[in-house]
Amino acid sequence: MMALLQWLRETLGRLFDKVDLPLLLALLCVMLISLVVLASVGGDNTRLVTSQGARFLLGVGAMVLVSRVTPAKLRLWTPTAYGVSLVLLALVFAFGSGRSANLWLDLGLFYLQPGELLKLSVPMMLAWYLHGVVLPPKWKPLAVAAAIIGLPVAMIIKQPDLGTGMLVAASGAFAVYLAGIAWWRIGLFAGLGLASLPAVWPFLLPHQRDRVLTFLDPESDPLGTGWNIIQSKIAIGSGGFSGKGWGQGSQAHLDFLPEHTTDFIFSVLSEEWGWLGVVTLLALYLFIVGRCMWLASSARDGYSRILAGALAMTFSVYVIVNGGMVAGLLPVVGVPMPLLSFGGTSAVSLLVGFGMVMSVHAHRKFVA
Amino acid sequence: MRALRRQKLKNVHAEADQFRRRAMLGFLGIALAMLGLAGGYFRLQVLQHEEYQTRSEANRIKPRPIVPARGLIYDRNGRLLADNVPAYRLEIVPEQVRDLEATLTGLGQLVQLDAEDIGRFRETRRATRGFRPIPLKLRLDEGELARLAVNRHRFPGVEVVSYLTRRYPYGALFSHIIGYVGRVDVADLEAMGDSRNTALTHIGKAGIERFHEARLRGEIGYEEIETNVEGRALGVVRRHDAKPGADLFLSVDARLQQAMTDAFQGQDGAAVAIDPATGEILAMVSLPGYDPNLFINGISHADWQALQAPARPLFNRIVLGGFPPGSTIKPFMALAGLEAGVRRPEDLTLSTGEFFLPGQKRGYRDWRAGGHGMTNLRESLAQSVNTYYFKLAVELGVDRMDAFFQRLGFGEPTGIDLSGEIPGVRPSRAWKRKQFNADWYPGDTVNAAIGQGYWVTSPLQMAQATAMLANGGVRHRPHLVRESQAGFDQPRRPEPQPPGVRVVPDDANLAAVNDGLVAVVHGPTGSARASGVGATYLIAGKTGTVQRTSRQGQVAVDASKLPYHLRHQAWFIAFAPADKPTIALAVLVEHGGSGSRAAAPVARRILDAWLVPPPEDTAR
Repeated sequence: MMALLQWLRETLGRLFDKVDLPLLLALLCVMLISLVVLASVGGDNTRLVTSQGARFLLGVGAMVLVSRVTPAKLRLWTPTAYGVSLVLLALVFAFGSGRSANLWLDLGLFYLQPGELLKLSVPMMLAWYLHGVVLPPKWKPLAVAAAIIGLPVAMIIKQPDLGTGMLVAASGAFAVYLAGIAWWRIGLFAGLGLASLPAVWPFLLPHQRDRVLTFLDPESDPLGTGWNIIQSKIAIGSGGFSGKGWGQGSQAHLDFLPEHTTDFIFSVLSEEWGWLGVVTLLALYLFIVGRCMWLASSARDGYSRILAGALAMTFSVYVIVNGGMVAGLLPVVGVPMPLLSFGGTSAVSLLVGFGMVMSVHAHRKFVA
Repeated sequence: MRALRRQKLKNVHAEADQFRRRAMLGFLGIALAMLGLAGGYFRLQVLQHEEYQTRSEANRIKPRPIVPARGLIYDRNGRLLADNVPAYRLEIVPEQVRDLEATLTGLGQLVQLDAEDIGRFRETRRATRGFRPIPLKLRLDEGELARLAVNRHRFPGVEVVSYLTRRYPYGALFSHIIGYVGRVDVADLEAMGDSRNTALTHIGKAGIERFHEARLRGEIGYEEIETNVEGRALGVVRRHDAKPGADLFLSVDARLQQAMTDAFQGQDGAAVAIDPATGEILAMVSLPGYDPNLFINGISHADWQALQAPARPLFNRIVLGGFPPGSTIKPFMALAGLEAGVRRPEDLTLSTGEFFLPGQKRGYRDWRAGGHGMTNLRESLAQSVNTYYFKLAVELGVDRMDAFFQRLGFGEPTGIDLSGEIPGVRPSRAWKRKQFNADWYPGDTVNAAIGQGYWVTSPLQMAQATAMLANGGVRHRPHLVRESQAGFDQPRRPEPQPPGVRVVPDDANLAAVNDGLVAVVHGPTGSARASGVGATYLIAGKTGTVQRTSRQGQVAVDASKLPYHLRHQAWFIAFAPADKPTIALAVLVEHGGSGSRAAAPVARRILDAWLVPPPEDTAR
């Protein structure tokens, strides 16, 4: 019996020896908060908590496994991973299904959203490519990087899934930024991007235009997005400094708040836990990002550094875009609050990403 | 050189330092953004807390959409063609249901639910934002209503809602004009964009219902509902009224439409009758039709299978059917010759029974062996003499033919207010180059002269061109909607139409052609003289027979002995009374043998229905 326990402890210890403890603890805190908020929203219905808990368990398991894969191996598989995820994305066009957009691939057992895979494989591919070129990148490498980012982003936005496309594009842009692209080039690209915005407008779909328009004037769509934002702001504002208390959020419980388990879950937290809750969660998020950047800086090779850094910075985009959107500070884009919103694919892919970051740090001594 | 090389090598330490600087800066940026976010929340939650606190406590108001009644559709005499009737439907708000599967099973014991109902419910649910009612079953019957009323308390989140549903009192008669409405599906919702349209259950899927969807639908309004603490509705605080859909008054005449359908006596085909003075469609059928009422609440599998018959009841031959015009193109060819100055009406052409292009062995035949002898314009139309048009076409050349037929509107959609209209094919060098990347041969010109070869026209295009002959050379846009009324307190407004364009300026030329067309029906040699017998008014007309298989090798085939699907398409175009036309007509009988035997009698029956007043004693 004792021997068995001993064995169990050793195996678990070995299994977790590549895991970064501070990061793991911070992630667990966020997940715990998510389950507590979901428990409040669900009331007697415990399905939300149990199913999300199962997904978190799955995600943490995947994270631990990925943390044991050396960056060298990861780098070896990168072009394959990128290629496969592109093919899956193309398949979605042919056989996809989903609410309001063709995002999902029905694999019989479960649905797969290739857009999620690309949130990992695009920064991986860029890190792989930039690893082999002289940094900081000049025009030619930049053109290749633009192609690596542009192809999947164009396909995702065409699906149409603006939120995921934006996140994938951001993850690529961060990789290039971390590779040390000259500031004047960043300025040039940013300027070009801003200048091309009016040209993009005619290509937006009706509902995408609606969202921009309702952001500018929420009252213009009182039954749809605008109403959602108004209700979300009421939820947040009425929460006050210390919140209405767990299970006391009238906005969420009287169904005034839309999508309150997914995209608008942060409003529920804001209503019930107040500004204190908001700041606590934001601090946790900031710690996670900072810790990841720190781990990334410790890596010895370009691939590991750029990959881990880009993943960390992308994570922050989720937080800022979702947090800004539910408070009416940014237009509504379908981006969840990471590890807080109800939903499996995004949680698992985020945790796998953190597994990669942990691996980079744990294997820093073995990579030349 | 050496220095350059060195620069190109990777500097591992420099890259690591560079990364650290960038990571540091990036983190600072992120920290600032989060600080900004925390600031934004501070403003909402601490500085503006009082205001939002008040709004939250007063937040008992929810918007609820008001769907206006769909516009009605009438014929030109005010007969109702598409009506709204009250009905009840079953709706579920899935988020308010504790156990959806148990609820569906329980409801299945009270109302008849089949797999299609449940499948559609699940699909709509996936496409709908949360907390919106999703229809489960439409048109509940009395028994179902009663059972639901008794068991209401067992099913929270389930509602019985009254609504207006569409009904087409004439059934199949107007199927290819009115079309039908069907239940909104996922693709419709995406296409509409505006979120308030999620309150819609039905949308036009075909015909007028689809083409004029936006006008018939009106504008969805909403009312602000006050709710109690549990979220139950207490009363209406404010209404933002819906704008009712516009009623449409069509130019079609239900009586003529019925007569037109009857005139086919069960044969398949299509016919279009136009008021030559305006371009208004008086009647229009594509046979067989279908019952549009089947589609309103989701067509059953068996009904759908029945509509997949070889005769294609769902296929609208009027605007989608493309057929070679055959000899019905001849009046327009003749007009082209006159307009170009290549022919005068009295010019004679010798028909010997076969026409040869210089240096070619293959002959182009007249339908009568041995030919028609010397023929002028009148006889060329009356007897439908191919050789007259072979020679005319060779002299005109394809380019002048193309330019003239373009003016008449061939080879492009007429612009009728129905969707999906085909442009057809107007043969030309450019078209053949684009389609087959091939040169135009003189033989192509000869085939085009008698409406064979590459020609593709729709019955609607033929009717439009015939109306042009009848009204002194003016081309009108054929149209169905004559007037509309945007709400009962609004005046009826005539539908704006583009002005007619005079495409044939010379009245004498038109008169010469029309003289020939009268001879087709009333002349001693006319190909449709059998159909002119006993007419109390003058008919101008032209037969056309389109051969699918004309000969096997050198041996002519008896068309009436061919298998059904290989038989000829029979055309007849006509207008009447020839001296003062009030109706222009194109009739196509599918698999009908010849134009004179199959199509002309149908046309005669239709013209009689329009022009001969019914005897007093049988009039209703």
